[in-house]
Amino acid sequence: MKRIIIDREKCDGCLNCNVACISAHEEGSNFYTVNLGSVDSETRNFIKFDAKTGYTPIFCRHCDEPECVLSCMSGAMEKDPVTGHVKYDESKCAACYMCVMNCPFGVLKPDNKTRTKVIKCDFCEEKQDGPSCVKACPKQAIEVKEVSR
Amino acid sequence: MNSNFNCKTCASADQKLETFISNLSQETSHHRMEGQSVKCGFGLQGICCRLCSNGPCRITPNAQKGVCGATADTIVARNFLRAVSAGSGCYIHIVENTARLLKKTAESNGVLKGKQALAKLASLFEIDESDEHICAGKIADLVLADLYKPDYVKMELVEKMAYKPRFDRWKELGILPGGAKSEVFTGVVKTSTNLNSDPVDMYLNCLKLGISTGLYGLTLTNLLNDIMLGEPSIRLASVGLRVIDTDYINIMITGHQHAMFAYLQDRLIEDDVIAKAKAVGAKGFKLVGCTCVGQDLQLRGEHYQKIFNGHAGNNFTSEAILATGAIDAVLSEFNCTLPGIEPICDELKIKQICLDDVSKKANAEMKPFVFEEKENQSNEIIDSIIESYQTRRGEITLNMLPDHGNDDTLTGVSEGSLKSFLGGTWKPLIDLIVSGEIKGIAGIVGCSSLTAGGHDVLTVGLVKELIAKDILVLSAGCSSGGLENVGLMSPSAASLAGPKLRAVCESLGIPPVLNFGPCLAIGRLELVATELAEAIGIDLPQLPLVLSAPQWLEEQALADGAFGLALGLPLHLGLPPFVTGSPVAVQVFTQDMLNLTGGQLIIDDNAQSAANTLNEIIEKKRKELNI
Amino acid sequence: MKIVIIGASAAGISAAKTIKVAEPDTQIVVISKEDSIHSRCMLHKYLGHERDAKGISFVHENFFAENNITWLKNTTVVDLDTDKKFVRTNDNQAIYFDKLLIATGASYFIPPIPGLREAKNVYGFRDLKDAQLLDSECKTAKNAVVIGAGLVGMDAAVALLERGLKVSVIEMMNGIMGLQLDEKSAEAYQQLFEEHGAEFLLSDKVTSVDIDEAGKGRTIHLASGKSVCADVIVIAAGVRPSFDFVEKSGIATKNAILVGDDLQTNIKGIYAAGDVIGISGIWPNAMKQGKIAAINMLGEKLRYEDRYALKNTTNFYGLATLSLGNINPKLKESFDVLIREDRNNYQKVVMKNGIILGVIMQGNINSTGFWQYLIKNKIDVSGIDKDVFDLSYADFYKVDSISGEYLYAI
Repeated sequence: MKRIIIDREKCDGCLNCNVACISAHEEGSNFYTVNLGSVDSETRNFIKFDAKTGYTPIFCRHCDEPECVLSCMSGAMEKDPVTGHVKYDESKCAACYMCVMNCPFGVLKPDNKTRTKVIKCDFCEEKQDGPSCVKACPKQAIEVKEVSR
Repeated sequence: MNSNFNCKTCASADQKLETFISNLSQETSHHRMEGQSVKCGFGLQGICCRLCSNGPCRITPNAQKGVCGATADTIVARNFLRAVSAGSGCYIHIVENTARLLKKTAESNGVLKGKQALAKLASLFEIDESDEHICAGKIADLVLADLYKPDYVKMELVEKMAYKPRFDRWKELGILPGGAKSEVFTGVVKTSTNLNSDPVDMYLNCLKLGISTGLYGLTLTNLLNDIMLGEPSIRLASVGLRVIDTDYINIMITGHQHAMFAYLQDRLIEDDVIAKAKAVGAKGFKLVGCTCVGQDLQLRGEHYQKIFNGHAGNNFTSEAILATGAIDAVLSEFNCTLPGIEPICDELKIKQICLDDVSKKANAEMKPFVFEEKENQSNEIIDSIIESYQTRRGEITLNMLPDHGNDDTLTGVSEGSLKSFLGGTWKPLIDLIVSGEIKGIAGIVGCSSLTAGGHDVLTVGLVKELIAKDILVLSAGCSSGGLENVGLMSPSAASLAGPKLRAVCESLGIPPVLNFGPCLAIGRLELVATELAEAIGIDLPQLPLVLSAPQWLEEQALADGAFGLALGLPLHLGLPPFVTGSPVAVQVFTQDMLNLTGGQLIIDDNAQSAANTLNEIIEKKRKELNI
Repeated sequence: MKIVIIGASAAGISAAKTIKVAEPDTQIVVISKEDSIHSRCMLHKYLGHERDAKGISFVHENFFAENNITWLKNTTVVDLDTDKKFVRTNDNQAIYFDKLLIATGASYFIPPIPGLREAKNVYGFRDLKDAQLLDSECKTAKNAVVIGAGLVGMDAAVALLERGLKVSVIEMMNGIMGLQLDEKSAEAYQQLFEEHGAEFLLSDKVTSVDIDEAGKGRTIHLASGKSVCADVIVIAAGVRPSFDFVEKSGIATKNAILVGDDLQTNIKGIYAAGDVIGISGIWPNAMKQGKIAAINMLGEKLRYEDRYALKNTTNFYGLATLSLGNINPKLKESFDVLIREDRNNYQKVVMKNGIILGVIMQGNINSTGFWQYLIKNKIDVSGIDKDVFDLSYADFYKVDSISGEYLYAI
């Protein structure tokens, strides 16, 4: 399967990955027009920072053994047997947030505005040329690589 | 859940303030630090360029140049010179307004409270005129004439004001400034798209802007204000949120242009105005100091005891001051008037009036100060503040912090008042330095910021380290606001000093940190340094004196810093000024500057190690002077 | 090989899915008393008319057909013969198996209170059938009484409020959701429920129920002397594992079916998972047990180790709460109990010697998944120089260089 491989050392915290992710999920927007001023513009990837650890990119791993899928009681989270990516179906989701609790890496979160869905990386599967965050990273700190399952 | 705005505010060296802010239901800058904690590395290093539509370009391992070919060195230098130009522009705006007000005051035979300052400048500028108003007018004319010169005509007062060895060195380096306003213009032009790409040329240009900023924007602003508003004199004063007296109609002032308040602050204590206040249930009016203009008022507080209640805090205390609910109006004329005060003013129905459109706040009433209309304007301002008081008091819940700050901060220190305190000569201070009772002097200047550990954390930490090493600290800028509120400017702080400095302080009854007031007073520190060097007969870089702007915040601070480097002084900053992406910048600032001016930049966000470095420099200079 | 799975909820379905992915040729029979697959955690959405029966399913519509699984719906197992390896159903079929998974879950329990067991308008809130019965009551009922303010009771209450009924909740403890919340976090929910019209009778219990001519419980008498009117009563006072049919089979039980770490019962080839084994009655654990039991039935020897069940998330009226571990320590003095709160958040961490024992995050629960890992694995955080509330996965960040998966650096 394809996974976004992270080189933490290269990250410079510019948050371009956040902007790209928000834009990818805001129809018709681009880097010039993407709405960065609203709480419902959500990024699915995160950069944490503190002086000791430096920049830490937190991106969904689409785990081999995804805890979010195992904990989902609505069938909204499913691991795609073909791509290996963990897909999220908002229409099925019951917003119980068991997945938020069970993701050991703290990747998942409720949506800011309504608290009725989960914010989850979809690997930009509708886009032909791969995840938008990866394309937007000026430091190549994130790259898509094929990994064995 | 409680009513606090959110869980996480940044740390402050001022524990009481930190607790107060963390319990506020209003959002402040201290709350916003968390959300801004991930900083872009390109921005931090200064290697992002937005000068043309091919950009923004950023320097990365795989893209070592911008599209135009600009290297990291060029991009950093352009960004830096732009920032210094803007910072210089700010201070030149202040001195221009101050000189214009002096001229109008002189022409209208207005009150001139500072006779010594007048005499001092008259003699410096070689003006032989017995009528004080004509003399003041001439001083203002000379300053304005210089400011308005083109960049290719050198300013005339530079040579009269600068210390001779410094002036000679500047001349050698070709960095004597032309007209100060034009120099800002040049700095902006140089750094536009595909113009200057020579980092060294641009850094020399920064020094030039540093000189015009320092001598005019800083030094002259102080002295011109002294003529109009009176000279500082040393006294003990109250500081912190405790100074707010809820029995009065309280006006918080923010900015840097004290002269704009000259008429109003006297008017507010006239009987008919007090009667107006009493008619609505208040005892009268009080000005509550905030940011640098508050420091200016504190510095000259001896002359304004009736109207001025004290300095409440620095720029990043302003939101907390307003959140007490006891401020009825904000009068602002310059920075640091944070946009963050606007929603607090809206919520607490605090009237905002701006006197200078350069600092127009989005939801404030604009009332440009016009000297000729000051009587009417003041009455209108007074009436609208009374109206604000009437509509809001009683309705707004007060949230006071009466045990914050102290009542014994030593203020009013200036080149003049300090010298008088020492008996009209610098000899006692020089003797103490020579004997080692005072190891050296550190000018702790510049702003307050929320980085480098939190609000004033590095500033306070560094000062404590320095005084413990018997280094006397002179402070100017918002750093003073933090230092005084935590008690370091109270005589009792002597106990925190090293044994020798402590003994000196205790015998004189002074704190180990002397409060020169606003950032403008960096100019006063320069006067002290110059007079000391002159008295000893050495150049400035030889003095056992260091500068530090531990928590520099803004572009103005960078222009101040350029002045410090032009003076040839070692300058410490807590955080780098967005230049570390350029090897040339690092080389110029930390090494080559020693050969150019004698100055040197030291970057260190650790109080202990920074203090050690500054201490070593002072010891090295002492050794070179054989003391 | 033929595997029979009794029960079609979390554990049963998770097992069936696992088997079909690992060894698609395995013959599977799923026996369920229900005629639909649904998630019990979403019953309130059905009762509240937010979703229909299909909408609360957690599998695809044609799950059994697509996976070539035989599904005996509306069927209960009445007997088990462990020697001959077959189960007997209520319609007297004998269904033989090579391996058996018992995932029959649990059923609600009606306390022996005079009138309560007899009343015809008393319902549990456990299965779709319960919800359907309640749904038809809601068409005429005006006053609903919920007995028990645990998660199930509150789920029922939120749906009944949604349907416009007047809802009274009776609870023996002095706060709601006492297993998941502490006093302060419970108050926040209680307030929200009250704003939506609920009435709470706390620290009180039902002593008797008066039944009318039609056999319906109408007046509920409480120990405090108060009484409450009811048109419909929901009982949410706990559940008991369901395993009547194993009584004579020789399978070891003790209030639940007993299993080893491999989830096998004392009888070789017979496994059990989910609420029926009574060790960790929450959805994610049942899913995991079903998966592990399935893999073991296929011959592996996986151990079920993730027994950590003191965890839950709550989300009512847009207020989300994560609660983990020991959040209400009895001897407060011997723990570090840290609280941080503001107008949108209430956060609590219970620690001892640098080990986190319990966490409540109410309000913003973004990126809080790492807490469970810290608690489960008893990770000492005392060496990390920061406010415990500011911890995040970033403090333990590590990447497997080959797979790119995250690990914990400890």
